[in-house]
Amino acid sequence: MTLPEFTLLRPRNLPEAIDSLDRHRGDIQVIAGGTDLVPSLKQRLFAPRYLLDLKPIRDLRGIRNGHGLTIGAMTTVGAIADSPLVAEKFPVLAAAAAAIASPVLRTTGTLGGNLCLDTRCLWYNQSPFWRASCGFCLKKDGKVCHVAPGGEKCWAVFSGDTAPALLALGAEIEIASPRASRRLPLADFYTGDGMARIKLAGDEILTRVHLPESSAGLRGAYFKYRLRGSIDYPLAGVAVALDLAPDGTCRRGALAVTALNPKPQLIPGAEAALRGSRLSDDLLDRLAELTNRAIKPLSTSASTPDYRRHIARVFVRRAVRQAWQA
Amino acid sequence: MPETAPGFAVIGKSAPMLDGKARVSGLAVYTADMTLPGMLYGKVLHSTVPHARIVRIDTSRAGALPGVHAVVVGNEFPNRYGILPIGHDEAAIAVDKVRYIGDNVAAVAADTEAIADEALRLVQVEYAPLRAWFDAEESMRAERDLIHDDRPHNIEKHYSHNFGDVDTAFARAHLVREDRFRCPAVTHAAMEPHATLAAMQIDGGITVWSSTQVPYYLQRTIANVLEMPESAVRVIKPAVGGGFGGKSEVCPLEVIAAMLSKKCGRPVRITYSREEVFFTHRGRPSQIVDLKTGVDRDGKILAVAAATIQDGGAFCGYGPVTVLYSGNLLAGIYQIENLRYDGFRVLTNKPSCGAMRGHGTVNMRFAFESQLDMIASQLGIDPVEMRRRNLLKPPCFTVNNLRVTSYGFPECIDRVVEASGWRERKGKMPRGRGLGVAGSHYVTGAANPINRSDMPHSSVTLKADRDGAFTIYSGASDIGQGCDVMQVMIVAEVLGVDPSRVRLVAADTGTTPVDLGSYSSRVTFMCGNAAKRAAEELKKEIYRVSAEAQKASGKPIPQNFDEALRLALEASGVIVAHGHYAPPEAARGGHFKGAGVGPSPSYSYSAQVAEVVVDEETGEVRIEKIWAAHDCGRALNPVAVEGQVIGSVSMGLGQALQEEMIWRNGFLMNPGLLEYRSPASCDAASPDIESFIVESIDPEGPFGAKEASEGSLAASIPAVANAIYDAVGVRIMELPLTPEKILRALKQKKKAAA
Amino acid sequence: MRKELVDLSINGRRHELAVEPNRTLLDVLREDLRLTGTKCGCDDSSCGACTVVVDGQPMLSCLLLAVSYQDSQIQTIESLATQGELGALQRGFVQEGGSQCGFCTPGMVMSLHTLLESTADPTEEEVRAAISGNICRCTGYMQICRAVRHAVAEIREEEIREKERLHA
Ligand SMILES: Cc1cc2nc3c(=O)[nH]c(=O)nc-3n(C[C@H](O)[C@H](O)[C@H](O)COP(=O)(O)OP(=O)(O)OC[C@H]3O[C@@H](n4cnc5c(N)ncnc54)[C@H](O)[C@@H]3O)c2cc1C
Ligand code: SF4
Ligand code: FES
Ligand code: FES
Repeated sequence: MTLPEFTLLRPRNLPEAIDSLDRHRGDIQVIAGGTDLVPSLKQRLFAPRYLLDLKPIRDLRGIRNGHGLTIGAMTTVGAIADSPLVAEKFPVLAAAAAAIASPVLRTTGTLGGNLCLDTRCLWYNQSPFWRASCGFCLKKDGKVCHVAPGGEKCWAVFSGDTAPALLALGAEIEIASPRASRRLPLADFYTGDGMARIKLAGDEILTRVHLPESSAGLRGAYFKYRLRGSIDYPLAGVAVALDLAPDGTCRRGALAVTALNPKPQLIPGAEAALRGSRLSDDLLDRLAELTNRAIKPLSTSASTPDYRRHIARVFVRRAVRQAWQA
Repeated sequence: MPETAPGFAVIGKSAPMLDGKARVSGLAVYTADMTLPGMLYGKVLHSTVPHARIVRIDTSRAGALPGVHAVVVGNEFPNRYGILPIGHDEAAIAVDKVRYIGDNVAAVAADTEAIADEALRLVQVEYAPLRAWFDAEESMRAERDLIHDDRPHNIEKHYSHNFGDVDTAFARAHLVREDRFRCPAVTHAAMEPHATLAAMQIDGGITVWSSTQVPYYLQRTIANVLEMPESAVRVIKPAVGGGFGGKSEVCPLEVIAAMLSKKCGRPVRITYSREEVFFTHRGRPSQIVDLKTGVDRDGKILAVAAATIQDGGAFCGYGPVTVLYSGNLLAGIYQIENLRYDGFRVLTNKPSCGAMRGHGTVNMRFAFESQLDMIASQLGIDPVEMRRRNLLKPPCFTVNNLRVTSYGFPECIDRVVEASGWRERKGKMPRGRGLGVAGSHYVTGAANPINRSDMPHSSVTLKADRDGAFTIYSGASDIGQGCDVMQVMIVAEVLGVDPSRVRLVAADTGTTPVDLGSYSSRVTFMCGNAAKRAAEELKKEIYRVSAEAQKASGKPIPQNFDEALRLALEASGVIVAHGHYAPPEAARGGHFKGAGVGPSPSYSYSAQVAEVVVDEETGEVRIEKIWAAHDCGRALNPVAVEGQVIGSVSMGLGQALQEEMIWRNGFLMNPGLLEYRSPASCDAASPDIESFIVESIDPEGPFGAKEASEGSLAASIPAVANAIYDAVGVRIMELPLTPEKILRALKQKKKAAA
Repeated sequence: MRKELVDLSINGRRHELAVEPNRTLLDVLREDLRLTGTKCGCDDSSCGACTVVVDGQPMLSCLLLAVSYQDSQIQTIESLATQGELGALQRGFVQEGGSQCGFCTPGMVMSLHTLLESTADPTEEEVRAAISGNICRCTGYMQICRAVRHAVAEIREEEIREKERLHA
C-alpha cells in the first residue's frame, strides 16, 4: 500500500510548528508516532498536503515530576507504561498504557496521539476499494451511516486506552496555538461526535498532560475488553480512581469509560455515588447502572452492543472492587 | 529419549530445516523479495459490486498513462480453469460478469506501484447489477440471476450417500439425537501474502516464481490460459511463508502476472496486499451441519445421518472435494456401520472457499465430537469411555470402503487421558473449570489424484556425482512444514551417509520431476516413499555398476559403500536412480459417486484433552492447557512433527475461540489481520500445548511414517467446546465459542432452570 | 513528489539515499537497500513481520516514515548473523523449530533480541509478552519460547566457560 503524496515538515520547536499549522491551515495534519495516522493515510482516510512531524520537538517529550505530573504529548505510551514514577503515583494510567496495542506499537505511539485518536468503525477503517463497495459513509465521502441508517450522526467509537484513566484522575491538557496557549480539563476536550471528535482547531497542538497532585496515590484499576489478548483496540474499557479514607470509606472517586461511545467519558453521577460510600454490592450495582445509562454502543465493531453493555457493567463492578481492595 | 529411533542413523533424530539458518537470518528469498532487471509492478482492479454483468470497460486512459506498460482485461485470456477437472469455471480476470466484491476486473503493469495504482483509478467499468446471493440456504432457492448459468439453484454439487441400513438402525436405537451446528468461514491467514513474479523469456517460454503449494498445477494452468505448451512454462517455488491450503490451487495473481508479462514482454511481479489475500480467501467454508446419531444403551453408535450445506463462494474450487471429505471421512475414525450423508456445496457471491488445514473434516468433527459428548452425558457414560466403545478394529475397510491400516487412535486417547489426569480430575473440579476430550483424523494424501490417472503421485530422481554428494531432484514443495529436510533424512538413512552429503533441488518444474503438491498431507508419505525408493535404487545401482566394473577387471567386489561409489563413478561418470510412488489399488476406495475422495493410503489420528476456565459473569474462556497426542506412524523428524501438531492445535484454537470472517449485508467486515484475529502469543487461544507423538508404524509409510500436519486441528475445537460444557454446563453449537454466546447460553440455562 | 536526500544509519552503516517523504522505512529497506530480510505481512501495522530495532526499541517499520528516522540507529535482521555465524537466539530458533515458514521470524527475532538485551533470563510470560505484537501462524508460539530458553541456556554456558577461561 502506498501512502498519499505529502510534504513532511519538521519544525525544530513549538513556535515553528504552530507557524506551519497556521500557514497551511486545512491542508496539514500533525503526525506524532503515526501508529494511528499512517495506517489511515494508507487507507486514504486522510490525504493532507502537509504532514507536521512533532518528533524533532524535544521538549514535547518526557515525564516531569513536580506538583503532580506533567507528561509531554510526545512521550511514548510505552515509556508511560514502564515508568516507575507513573506506576507509583498513578497506577491506573500505567495499567491503561500497558494495555495499549502491543509492545512494538507502544514504543512508537505517543500519549498525545492516544488522546487525539481518530474514532473507529468497521465501516470506516477500510481501504478505498472497500469503502467504495459500500458507497462510503457519513464520516468520509458518503451520505449515510451504515450503523445507524437514517441518522445524521456518526457513531464511530473513540478507542483509546489512556483517556479514561486520565479522565478518572482529573487530568488537564495544554494546547498550544497561534493565539494564547490554553489549558482545559481533558473531559472538555471531546465532543461526542464521531466525526469532529475533539475540540482542537486546525492550528493547534496538544502539548502536555497535567496530572494533579491531588490525584497522586489514588488507587486505580483499568479493565479492557478485547477478543484477542493483545494488539486489539478496546471493545470496552473501564477506568476507576479512588481515594479511600483509612476506614475504607471513599473520600473521592471517579469512573470513566472508553470504546463505548464516540467519546471517552466520566460516568455522570459516579463521583457523587462514590463519595462517602463504603464498598457494597449496592454501590457496585448503582455504578453499573449509571454506566449503563451513559453509554450507547452500536454495531461499530466485532462485538455486539448488548454484549458491550454487559461487559461494561461487569467491568465497572470489578474495577471498582479491585481498586478498593488493592 | 534416544537420539534416533532404534536401528536408525538419521531417522528419528530432530533435524533443523534445510534452510533454517537462512530463514532466521533474513536471507531466505521469498517471491516478494525477488526482483529482475526491467521488472514491472502488477496491480489488479477489483470489483466493488458483488454480482453484475460488465457492460463496458474502458482502459484507454490507464493504458495511456506514462509508465504503464500493459493493461489486461478478461476477454483477452478467456480460457477457463479450476483446480478440479469438473470445475473449470474460473477466469483469472472476470469475463463478462463479476461474482463477488473483490473479483478481478482488470490489471496493469507499470514502472512503480504508485503508477500502477494511478492507472487502476483511470479504468472505467460500467456494471449492470444482478441480484446477489450471500446466504447459502437462500441461494439454493435461486431461480434467476444465477451465479453460473449452468448451475441451477446455485448448487455447485450435491452428494447423497447411503451405506448400510440407516433407518432400521435408527429404529432400534436406544437414543437418537438430532442437532444443528454452525461454523462461520475462517481463512488461512498465512503470514506471507501471495506473490508471483512472471518473466516472459526471449525464447518464447515463461518462467514463474510463485508462493505456491502446487507448482505443477500452476504450470498446467498457465499453459492452458496463455495457450502455450506446458513445456514452455517453468514454475519455481522460492521460500514460501506458509500456505495451510491457501496456496494449494491457482490464485488469480499467478495467472494475471503471467498474462501481463506475456503482453509486455517484461518481468512482472504482483504482491497481494493483505486485503487482497482475504478476498482471494480459498479458506474453510461456512457450514451448517445437521447431525443425527443413534446409539444403543451402551453408547455404541448404530447409525449416523449427516446433512450439510457449505457456502462455497463464487467458484467451484476444491468445493466437491471439501463436501466429500466432510461426509466420507465420517467413517474413518469410529466404527459406523450405517451411514447416510447429504452434502450440498452452494455458490454465493462471496470469495471462493477452498482447502484449509484439515480440509472438509474440521467443521464436521466439531459437530460430531460435540454430539458424541452430548450423547455420553445423556447416557451417563464417561466421554473417554464413549469414544473407546466406538473404536474401529483395523485393519479393516469401513462401510464406505476406506481402508484403515495403522490406527494409533486408542493409544492417543490413552496418552492424553493419562497426562491430563482425566480419571482423577474429571468431574471433580470446581465449577467454572472443565476438561473436554475429542478425537480427529486426517488422510495421508489422497489415494486418487485430482486428475485421474495411474501415474505416480510423486517421483524423485537421485544423482551421485564425483564430488561425493548426492543430489535429490524432487518436485515437492516445502512451505514451512519441513519436507525438504525430510527427504534428505530419508536418503541419508538409506544410503548410510551423513545428511550433509545430501543436497536437494526442489519444486522447479524445469528441473525436478512431478510431485502433485503440498496439500492433503501427502508429501511425507508419497514423496518420502519415492525418495526412499530412489535411494534404494541408487544404492543397488552403485553396487551393481561397481561390481560389474570390478568383475570385468578381475578385482574383488567392493564391500564398503564409499568404495563402491568411487568405483561406480569411475566406471560410469554419474549414477542416477529414480523412485516413484502411487497409492496401492486397495487403498483407492469404492465405486459409488464421490467415492474418489476420502480414500488414502493411511490415516493419521489425534486425541486431545482441553482444560478450560470459564468466567460465568462474562462468558470469557481461558484455555489452561491442551494435551494433544498425534499418531504420525513414525516421527522421522520429531521437532518437525511436534511443530506441526502444535501448530495445528493453535490454528484450531483460533477457530474455536475467535476467528471468523465477519459478513454483514454482503460485506466482509474484517479483511485484515487486526480484525481477523489469529491467535497472538498472549491470548486465550495460545495456551500451553503439550504434544505427544504416537508411533503406530504404518505398514506402507516411509519407515512407517504418515501425516502429521493436519489431523490434530479438528480435535482442538470440540475438545474446547466439550470442556466448556464440563465447566459450566452449556453447550455451544456455533463457532466461534465467543464470550457472548457462552453468556447467552448461561442466561438461557438460568431462565430455564427458574 | 520531491525526493529528499536522507542519511540513514542502518546496521551500523550510513546510507545516503534520495527518498520521497511518503515512503515507509520498510519500503526503503526492502526496495532501495534490498535488505529484504524484513518482511511485510500486512502493511497496516497489525502483524509484526516488519519489526526492526530503532534506537534499541522494536518498532514496526511499515509505519515509520523513513525520512523521519535520520537521527536514529536502525537495526534489521541482517545485522544479527556476523560473518555468517548465527547468534545464540537464531541458533535456538533453528534447533528448536522456532521458525517454520520463517515469515514471522525476522520480526520475531528482532523483538526477542531487544528483550534479551534488557532481560538476561526472561520468564516464559515475559517472552510471550515481548512477542505479543508479532503474529506467528505456524508455531503456536511453543517452540519459539523453547528457542529463547535454548538461547538463554547457551549464553549462560558460554559465560561460565568464559569465566573459567579467565580463572585458568
Ligand atoms: C494494530 C494497532 C492496534 C492498536 N491498538 C490500540 C489499543 O489497543 N489501544 C489504543 O489506545 N490504541 C491502539 N492503537 C492506536 C495507537 O497505536 C495508539 O493510540 C497511539 O498511542 C497513538 O499515538 P501516535 O503518536 O502513534 O498517534 P498518531 O498516529 O501520530 O496520531 C493520531 C492522531 O492524533 C493526532 N495527533 C497526534 N499527536 C497530536 C498532538 N500532539 N496534537 C494534536 N494532534 C495530535 C494526529 O494528527 C492523528 O490524527 C493501535 C494501533 C494499531 C496500528
Ligand atoms: S458510525 Fe456510521 S458514519 Fe460513523 S464511521 Fe460508522 S458507518 Fe460511518
Ligand atoms: S507489515 Fe508491519 S506490522 Fe505487518
Ligand atoms: S513461522 Fe510461519 S508465521 Fe511464524
